[in-house]
Amino acid sequence: MEEKRNIGVYICQCGSNISDYVDVEKVREEVAKINHVSISKTTMFACADATQNEIVQDIQENNLDAIVVASCSPKLHLDTFKNVAERAGLNPYNYVQVNIREQCSWAHSDKPVQATEKAIQLVKAGIARAGYSEALIKTKISAENVVVVVGAGVSGMRSAIELADLGSYVYLIEREYFVGGRVAQWGELFTTNETGKETIRRLYNKLMEYKNITLFTGAEIISNTGTVGNFDIQVKIRPRYIKPGCKVDPEKLQKVIDACPVEIPDVFNFNLTTCKAIYKNFESEFPEIPAIDPEHCTRCGECEKLCDDIDLGQKDEFVNIKAGAILINTGYDPYEPKTGEFGYKEIENVITLPQLKRLIELSGKELIYKNKKIHNIGYIYCVGSRQKDGENKYCSRYCCTSTIYTSIVIKNKYKDIHNFHFDKSIRTYGKLELLYREASENGDIFLQFWDEDPPVVSRNGNGTVVSIKDMLSSGKELEVDCDLVVLVTGMVPRQDNKIADILKAPLGRDKFFNEIHPKLRPVETVIDGVLISGACQGPKNISESVKSSLSAASKANSLVKKGEIELKPTIAFIDKNACVWCDECLKACPFDAIIKVQSDGKDVAEIVEAKCKGGGMCLPVCPENAINLKGYTDNEMEAMITALAD
Amino acid sequence: MEQQNELSFDTLVIGGGIAGSEAAINLANLDYKVILVEKDLSLGGKMIHLSKVFPTLDCSACITTPKVSETIRHPNITIYTYSEVKNIVKVSDKKFTATLVKKPRYVNEDLCTGCQECEDKCPVVVKDQYQYDLVGRKAVYVPFSIANPRVVNIDIENCILCGICEKVCPVDAIDFTQEAVEIPLTVKSVIIATGFELFDPTQILRYGFGKFKNVVTAMQMERQLVPTRPYNSVLRPKDGKMPDNIAYILCTGSRDETVGNPICSQICCMYSVKQAQLLLGALPMADVSIYCMDIRAFGKGFCEFYQQSIGMGVEFHKGKVAKVTEKENGNLILRYENIENGKITEVEHDLVVLSIGVLPNPEAKLLFNSPVIESDEFNYIKQTDELVCPPQTNIEGVYVAGTSSGPMDIPDSILSAGAASACSANYIRN
Repeated sequence: MEEKRNIGVYICQCGSNISDYVDVEKVREEVAKINHVSISKTTMFACADATQNEIVQDIQENNLDAIVVASCSPKLHLDTFKNVAERAGLNPYNYVQVNIREQCSWAHSDKPVQATEKAIQLVKAGIARAGYSEALIKTKISAENVVVVVGAGVSGMRSAIELADLGSYVYLIEREYFVGGRVAQWGELFTTNETGKETIRRLYNKLMEYKNITLFTGAEIISNTGTVGNFDIQVKIRPRYIKPGCKVDPEKLQKVIDACPVEIPDVFNFNLTTCKAIYKNFESEFPEIPAIDPEHCTRCGECEKLCDDIDLGQKDEFVNIKAGAILINTGYDPYEPKTGEFGYKEIENVITLPQLKRLIELSGKELIYKNKKIHNIGYIYCVGSRQKDGENKYCSRYCCTSTIYTSIVIKNKYKDIHNFHFDKSIRTYGKLELLYREASENGDIFLQFWDEDPPVVSRNGNGTVVSIKDMLSSGKELEVDCDLVVLVTGMVPRQDNKIADILKAPLGRDKFFNEIHPKLRPVETVIDGVLISGACQGPKNISESVKSSLSAASKANSLVKKGEIELKPTIAFIDKNACVWCDECLKACPFDAIIKVQSDGKDVAEIVEAKCKGGGMCLPVCPENAINLKGYTDNEMEAMITALAD
Repeated sequence: MEQQNELSFDTLVIGGGIAGSEAAINLANLDYKVILVEKDLSLGGKMIHLSKVFPTLDCSACITTPKVSETIRHPNITIYTYSEVKNIVKVSDKKFTATLVKKPRYVNEDLCTGCQECEDKCPVVVKDQYQYDLVGRKAVYVPFSIANPRVVNIDIENCILCGICEKVCPVDAIDFTQEAVEIPLTVKSVIIATGFELFDPTQILRYGFGKFKNVVTAMQMERQLVPTRPYNSVLRPKDGKMPDNIAYILCTGSRDETVGNPICSQICCMYSVKQAQLLLGALPMADVSIYCMDIRAFGKGFCEFYQQSIGMGVEFHKGKVAKVTEKENGNLILRYENIENGKITEVEHDLVVLSIGVLPNPEAKLLFNSPVIESDEFNYIKQTDELVCPPQTNIEGVYVAGTSSGPMDIPDSILSAGAASACSANYIRN
């Protein structure tokens, strides 16, 4: 490749982010001396529209064949300036970004002289690289206008409806036998007072109107072999053991359920009750037909005797789906306290917030737990969130409001109940503050503990006592008799999160799915075509989850609707003459982007272009040096090293 | 007033802040034709004026300016800055009419190159609203260095009509004869992204804002911390001294019945924690104390960010400040009840920052003629189906994005804008 002879260099001040510590004018003077540099300028904000236009003009008027912008991290603005090059008619891969902000001014703010020196070297290296940069052409691949939505909770159902409305075909895949996720388990919801069941019914009825949505329940993605535009997904659908055409007769169903001899803890009620192996969690649950839990069913056949619609001979089914994009909406699990954590599982009247919410749903006119009418409830906040010593450093966001709202529901529903809140400072942000006010006006007592001094739950004769050193009364040691202690458990990532491995979608430090950037690309992951929304991304309330799922739906649709997707050309390529197929590259690639093919009678490696992310892991392990990375060729790298060593 | 021919678009986006830009770009990427109307001189809303943003500490201008430039360059987006809409009427399904009013800048936008020759020569100096009154500006001025469009504007209220700008302009762009232009508009859907206003702390007399010079608002502090900061350092206004003992008073104008705003502003805790971290970087010898009722670090990465500030040495005191008094040297005495020990406490600081809250933009409501757009008890646009369709308003085809519906941080504003654009696209399509 011939060296570029006509390079434009722009040194950004980034307001003063860079120029406070790096002498940008000196950098410009130094690089202006390099032969091939025909234009060198400093600029207040290289990313500002005016500067962008100036660069376009410079490229066109001076026939520049490469440009270098020394500014911030390429993570932020590589694409911005590639677009600038493209607008000017220059191949975007003849653009090189040098990071003199994070790597010079911010890292060496105590040593401005050396920071400037480093900046000069880095920019020189960037110019050397630009000299060997090659024009690369993006490849286009076809894309299916099909989106797989994983998880049919409120967020997933909402995404599916939106995508279908926008014209994509949607496969909605739900692991449970019924849709609705967590929301189906809740009663009245803040702030609309609609119940969870009602919300889910509304969404389900809407969902059923669409011909371009296929819903699979009891289904899981078990593998994926494709990439963006053409994901190749295999779905396993567990049998429901009920014939699809079953018209449910509630009375008959009850008889069948009564006949089932298997009794298991009911996870829908967070083990507060038991259920049978054939079950339906509530009458208006969707899909309407019940399910038999294959894990616990003993195949005794009692149910089959009573109902012709039961078919214990059903087998697992497998479905293959081609999809352009995948939207993960798998939600969260409630934190499960450890045995003994605030008396959980050791003291009988200690339950979790989700259990309390189910208890309200299961209770009649009085709130009764273990045959005792409840009078005093103590809520202990931040169980499993904002942990001082544990792993969960994050705040679970929804639980303060959810607890306070539940305490209000309790006050409205039952007489003579007193609520005592043992909190770590209440986070009812925004308009939710009004609920906090309402609870206070209801006479709820709020007590606050220090991080390092959490409340203690202990038995006291027949009762249970919560002791606290209360910050709001300047550290008074107080004891409250509670006949129900509710642990306000936060959100944790799904315990069974196989989907993350299957799709190689990255998790953050908090183990929730991680977006590329919370402000720039909040619903996309680094895996092209794999999007995330709802609480699988981090704690969110319903409204916030739905906002993100709507946002993700429109992003997914705009990705696949055109029928083709452009791929980055910065991928590996193999010199087939040099390759001896030792399979080292295959082992090094985390994206399964290398396959073995025959070429001229020998085995050689080949790159699957749609899968290669240009990670470069294969390059150093190749003993024959047969692999190169477009945009990062040996020529470019060697030129940079030479410039740096100069 | 001049009349022009009718314009027709798929969607009208009102407001060119981060939410409006995001919504417009999303719709434009789905191939809808969008008209974006911004009442201010340039795009970027409040976000473009911020320093670094929590919890990632990204440079705010560096995120906003490319978004603004993407909005401006998008072939499916038409932008009117320094313009307003009024009389929005829903005529029928998917048909709204409105009047677009293009206010006079007294400068021909197409000719002006933003060279600022006129600004240099203009003899009038007034307070610069974009620097939150910290410094002055001229009567003919580019709003701020990274403003887009980067053209000058004549502040006719303060202009003395001396005509110097007209004489020095190398391209004859100054035009005192400009008048407001009214353009009839037809669109299929509307997105309200009119943003929020900041609480005016002069309402709380006991904090002394406007009287004690060393009591500033958080937005004024923000401007002292941005890359384009006016003093290139953090200085206290009374004597230009670098402060070394700074106090933040949280919930100034939020969670406060006495000023009619009982709700939480959702962003002040975190922006204060962020400013505290930036201050420890800008003034390594300084102490920063935050006086608060609670710290509401609830979003993704927020709690960790709050813990990081404690690790850096930011001091948190639980207690709402009752009163601020000024000493002769300009230092300030804060009186508050320290909740942790129950004692009334007085402490001295040399700079006090008021963490002012968020208020609704009352103008949003007035844009609609028929039907009337409903608002909630605080004057935010009412969301009529908050759980299943959060952007939905009482008028089908009108959606709300960002802080028009309530206090919100930047990530949430961006997500809500994405949601509003999705709903708008569906409304037009079906």
